[in-house]
Amino acid sequence: MSSNSKAKARADKAAAERAAQAQRESRRRIFTIVGVLGVMVLIVGGSILVSVLNKEEVKAVGAGSSDYGVTIGDPDAPHSVIVYEDFLCPFCGQLESATRADFEKLAADGKVFVEYRPFDLLSQSFGDYPIRAASAFALVLEKSGPEVAKKFHDLLYENQPSEEAPDSVSDDDLVDLAVEAGATEADVREGIESVSHKDWVTAATAEADKAGIQGTPTVLLDGEVYQDGRTIQDLAKNLVAELE
Amino acid sequence: MRGTLAWVGLAARLVTGGVWIVAGGLKITEPDASIAAVRAYQLLPSSVAEVVGIALPAVELVVGLALVLGVFARGAAVVSAVLFAAFIVGIASVWARGIEIDCGCFGGGGAKAGAASAYPWEIARDVALLAASLLVAFLRRTRLSLHSLLFTSGPDDRATVTEGAVH
Repeated sequence: MSSNSKAKARADKAAAERAAQAQRESRRRIFTIVGVLGVMVLIVGGSILVSVLNKEEVKAVGAGSSDYGVTIGDPDAPHSVIVYEDFLCPFCGQLESATRADFEKLAADGKVFVEYRPFDLLSQSFGDYPIRAASAFALVLEKSGPEVAKKFHDLLYENQPSEEAPDSVSDDDLVDLAVEAGATEADVREGIESVSHKDWVTAATAEADKAGIQGTPTVLLDGEVYQDGRTIQDLAKNLVAELE
Repeated sequence: MRGTLAWVGLAARLVTGGVWIVAGGLKITEPDASIAAVRAYQLLPSSVAEVVGIALPAVELVVGLALVLGVFARGAAVVSAVLFAAFIVGIASVWARGIEIDCGCFGGGGAKAGAASAYPWEIARDVALLAASLLVAFLRRTRLSLHSLLFTSGPDDRATVTEGAVH
């Protein structure tokens, strides 16, 4: 064999080695990329699984069967709506003004049975107004009955203070609103001033917590959380449309 | 100059990645709060808000890990930049509409009185993190990345090459 062809054979062998090497490299690269992507997918999947497992389901007692609410309409109406709310929560106020007239009409027509369940969500952040208002509501419910309590509930939202100045509605104002709703001042003044139904509020809040209510307003339509809408106005409009 | 930039890139990776890991990690175990936080922006339809509320924390965590470890860091940085841009738009949008919410950036979220005063600072923070993400996306190499360990040929390959040469 000439030294020339020997050199060529050597060069060929080296080239083959280089090609094999390049192939090994690229295979390794692909395995690494697939491996890393696999780990990433696993982390995303695992995180989503953890989130889904941690999600709390809302399981509230049926409309009309809570000790901590006031209802309008016929219990046998084809639809039921439950509204968990805090008297200070601004979105609850928006929901109220967007749905009240429709709910009252639909309830009167026998199309829906609505239960309002006020509780205290916000006192930890914004002072004791949510407790004072809900306690006054419970007192009025006890002393003057559900119709007056519903009216008082409506008036509380119409005169809702802002979260910045929750105490702009004083105990005297609460008494005035209760009287405007139809309560007798002698029945409610003392109780409002002493926050007589604080325990009722605590129990109502415990019930809402047990039901898995995470925020206000939480609306349940026929037992299922209803949140079809980008804004409160959307939600109110869609909900009313479902009931009609 | 290149060397300095690579170190700055490492710092950018660690800061943005760290922020993502914390932000995602805090939310993964609180899905209801996370969904409520997304919903509070009043930008997405309800069912989409639910998907975003669940998926976003997972994505945040992975983007954070990728940035800190330095695997697919440039891709992660692009996702990171897109997310920060989206958050800036989101906060600017609630600000413009006069909605006061906790941004829900690190858990929490929902309506919050007086939250508007925090918006400028939150936007400034996200702009800074967006800039850091873009820097990582533009740099070809940053220091101390797992990527360079995984993708440079290992000692085995080199050994084979040497053997081949001896034969």
